[in-house]
Amino acid sequence: MAESYDVVVIGGGHNGLVHAAYLARAGRKVLVLESRPVLGGAAVTEEIVPGFRFSVFSYVVSLLRPEIIRELDLVRHGLEILPLDGTFTPLEGNYLWRVDDPMRTRREIARFSALDAEAYEDFGRAMVRICRFVRPMLGTPAPDPTRISWGDFEQLLWLVRRWQGIDAGDKFLLAQLGTSSAIDFLDRWFETDPLKATMSASGIIGTFLGVRSPGTAYVLLHHYMGEIDGTFRAWGFSRDGTGGISRSIAGAAAEAGATIRTEARVARILTRNGRAEGVALESGEEIRAKTVSSSLDPRQTFIRLLEPRDLPAEFLEEVGRYKFRGSSGKVNLALDALPDFTCLPGVGRHLRGAISISPSVEYMERAYDDAKYGRFSRQPYIDMVIPTLTDPQLAPPGKHVMSCFVQYAPYHLAEGDWDSRREAFGDAVIDAISRFAPNIRKIILGRQVLTPLDIERIVGLSEGNIFQGELSPEQLFFQRPVGGWARYRTPVSGLYLCGSAAHPGGGIMGAPGRLAALEILRQAPIKGVS
Amino acid sequence: MAGDRERPIVVGAGVNGLVAAFYMGREGRAPVVLERASQVGGIAATEEFLPGFRASMVAPLAGPVTPRVLADAELAGHGLEWLESPVRVFLPSPEGRGIVLYSDAEKCAAEIARVSPGDAERYREARAALEAMAPFFVRVLETTPPAVENLSGSELFRAAKLGLSLRRLGKKNMLRALRWLPMPVADLASEWFETEPLRAAIAARGIFAARLGPRSPGTAARLLFQVAPWGDPFAPIIVPRGGMGALSEALAKAARAVGAQIRTEVQVERILVKDGRVAGVALTGGEEIAGRTVISGADPVRTLLRLIDPAQLSTGVLQKIRHYRIDGGAALVHIALDGLPRFRGLDSGSSSTAPPALAGRIQIGATVDALERAFDDAKYGRISAEPYLEVTIPTALDPSLAPEGKHVLSAWLQFAPYTLREGNWAERRDDLLQVTLRLLENYAPGISALVHGARVLTPADLESSYSLTGGHVFHGDLAMDQMYSMRPIFAHGCYRGPIPGLYFCGAGTHPGIGVTGASGLNAAREVLPDLRRGGS
Repeated sequence: MAESYDVVVIGGGHNGLVHAAYLARAGRKVLVLESRPVLGGAAVTEEIVPGFRFSVFSYVVSLLRPEIIRELDLVRHGLEILPLDGTFTPLEGNYLWRVDDPMRTRREIARFSALDAEAYEDFGRAMVRICRFVRPMLGTPAPDPTRISWGDFEQLLWLVRRWQGIDAGDKFLLAQLGTSSAIDFLDRWFETDPLKATMSASGIIGTFLGVRSPGTAYVLLHHYMGEIDGTFRAWGFSRDGTGGISRSIAGAAAEAGATIRTEARVARILTRNGRAEGVALESGEEIRAKTVSSSLDPRQTFIRLLEPRDLPAEFLEEVGRYKFRGSSGKVNLALDALPDFTCLPGVGRHLRGAISISPSVEYMERAYDDAKYGRFSRQPYIDMVIPTLTDPQLAPPGKHVMSCFVQYAPYHLAEGDWDSRREAFGDAVIDAISRFAPNIRKIILGRQVLTPLDIERIVGLSEGNIFQGELSPEQLFFQRPVGGWARYRTPVSGLYLCGSAAHPGGGIMGAPGRLAALEILRQAPIKGVS
Repeated sequence: MAGDRERPIVVGAGVNGLVAAFYMGREGRAPVVLERASQVGGIAATEEFLPGFRASMVAPLAGPVTPRVLADAELAGHGLEWLESPVRVFLPSPEGRGIVLYSDAEKCAAEIARVSPGDAERYREARAALEAMAPFFVRVLETTPPAVENLSGSELFRAAKLGLSLRRLGKKNMLRALRWLPMPVADLASEWFETEPLRAAIAARGIFAARLGPRSPGTAARLLFQVAPWGDPFAPIIVPRGGMGALSEALAKAARAVGAQIRTEVQVERILVKDGRVAGVALTGGEEIAGRTVISGADPVRTLLRLIDPAQLSTGVLQKIRHYRIDGGAALVHIALDGLPRFRGLDSGSSSTAPPALAGRIQIGATVDALERAFDDAKYGRISAEPYLEVTIPTALDPSLAPEGKHVLSAWLQFAPYTLREGNWAERRDDLLQVTLRLLENYAPGISALVHGARVLTPADLESSYSLTGGHVFHGDLAMDQMYSMRPIFAHGCYRGPIPGLYFCGAGTHPGIGVTGASGLNAAREVLPDLRRGGS
């Protein structure tokens, strides 16, 4: 047992790396331990088919906190975000296309409804206002109503004062976003069914809910919370895939002096007298540290890496109730050519953005119905991107990679298991795509099907939940992951959580990693200054 | 225009309208109550649906009525007799004996232990937790929610008081309440029980009269509003002798005793607005009654879109009320029976007295998935292929409702969506009776042979006969975004309507979870200070 650190960080995903970078910059001696050979967790770029590089899991970015990009100087460390050009929804004999050109989007939506074209701009402006209001909360720990400290009280008052400062219409929108279903929220704005269906998709991603389930409007807002008016516009690709983001953060951490080890799988968190004092690797090696930060989810952290006696029974019970319920899978395709959509044939700008298989609200809702009873959707919602049109180096010349995010794929299947159903799931996805782009079957050179079980096995996300736990109201803010334990601390003294299971949650955002580091450094801002 | 302008006017003599009238009268501000029907009660009415057979037509059971109203109105003195069932829920099984959930906690635990000792333990735990939380939930039901759109001054104080009563539960139960409220009731049910029929019994309360399935977030709040004030996962069954109409009549007497004037068979055609405030009402036939204060017990859509000239409302209010979800999803089937149905595995007892198991709620819908599937059909405009049935046999407790030896069976059938994708309700009415009998035959074989006659109320009937827009008995869906401070609509959720002098007191306000009288109680509390200010 030679080495000793101030902080050992379990998991080299984007949050673990952000966390390490902040601590190292503050002068702490930090070690990051990643079990896989590649850094990044779910934000990795890997060559799955020879010559084709994929953002294997997460595939687009918008939520990455601007203060992190600034404070860690990520652009100097190689971060480059390329534009993702709009969203294309193929339909039978028609299509809906929203593009990064407001006038054109307006014309496209007006083909369905002039009122909606008008409302779309109002909606965009309203969401920007709402995001501006909510955004500071992403840069601060959640206020805890169960505590009586002056700081918490002051923070609650700060929230109330901010609330008093906005106009009645925006208060109404916020109240709706907190409680409605994505569709009920969108119904107030729009009448075009495929528009509502496609927009509502952001409300279900990473949840085990349907577009009509109350609470999904919040998830919609969560996805809108990217830096809408800052450095980036809306969603984008990272150059060289999402692994490029992880590499830039790792670069910042290493430059600040953090040590990063890959293929170092933690087997146990070492404790003595209720205090964390290091970790034991599967190799048997033990590493001492004053502080242990886990970027893994609560099940991995508290159940796999600790002994039941390390934790109060009530806390363990709450961890047991924490809902993961992975609901999505991923299909990565190596393509010989580009898909050709019947409704808008040929190669065009429409292929450079997101391509959404979400033809109607009922299609989305029926996809959820399948999942409720333990089946993958026979006709799933699919969000596809072809990053090689923007970043050609990811595939050999003239060839392409296509990334398909698929929902629903419930972790618990009613019949059979994922190992035997994997290819059937992949086939259902290809069927759903070929309904709109019949040439897809002929151009596939290779395919990787990732079920929620695969996501759990490879990246360690329990039940394959991409957010380390559902973004449902009882698992947000001061209740994320467990009520009263939302401030990154845990019942084990010296053990912190710094991953997406902590406030404010998942996506390539980095906020939990940063806020947990500030908590350790005891510099956590109380108010929304970042 | 006739009338005393200072005398408040209550539109509708439903339970909430009568409760509001009683409280206002008690404070010396007795209103005039205007009822369209020939009897008081609105949806809490007893009707003879076949010669000799009477039923509580729309609301088969009381909420139960909130304890404060029961105490204050002294209904016993006005002729009301409450009957409490020894059994709260009976979960019959097609195979055997089913599960009988007794009102007596120990007896109930013993019965649950028969199917699952672990669940008996969990029942005790859930009961203890709910008992501890009861004061908070009673407060939530019996006080006006803070107006979230204006969290300053008195509203902030109101919110702080609510927060304090939550804190008083202690950290553990406070966190529990906050975690439970937004959950899907299916998740809460699986936290409480491992036995599927028990989970379904919990889940069913969460979706009762909702256009939601048990997996919909926020349905746990609907359950907790109904059961937590009573400190038990299963709320008591307390019914008035003579059916729900007896409750309404006793309330009417109590209201009259404090000076309220109740007029039946008068239909309010318009709520009059002059210079931006309420000026009175106009009745069908031309009569006008002047009044600076109108308290509407009608549903919010009827009140704002039919009784008031839309020109008097802001576009914001109009947009909100037009998006208010008020399509109902349930129907009622009342069956006159020549004898008592025999449920499998249940000791039928002598022919003259019904077994206690039949005196509570009889739930047909044995799994959470079955309830969810029933909801799936409604999403696409279909009657559920296997609807959830909540059956009561009121004659089991109160034989006076039918001729001697005969019985009444009332089935609440969910889901029967107001808007059908195919066909219309006039031609589908009989299907509801058929599906009810088909399902019941699985549990009580031979029941069809006992049918003497029946009366079905489709959502369309509920709308036309009981002035329920969309046929929704709760005056609008009770989901997270139409709940509490936001019921019926944001910024007008605290019993005050969007026009000065207009108030709401019906089920379209908080809590709106059945016949509790809490809306009437809370509305009166909001109206009275305004009346005093206006009158002085």
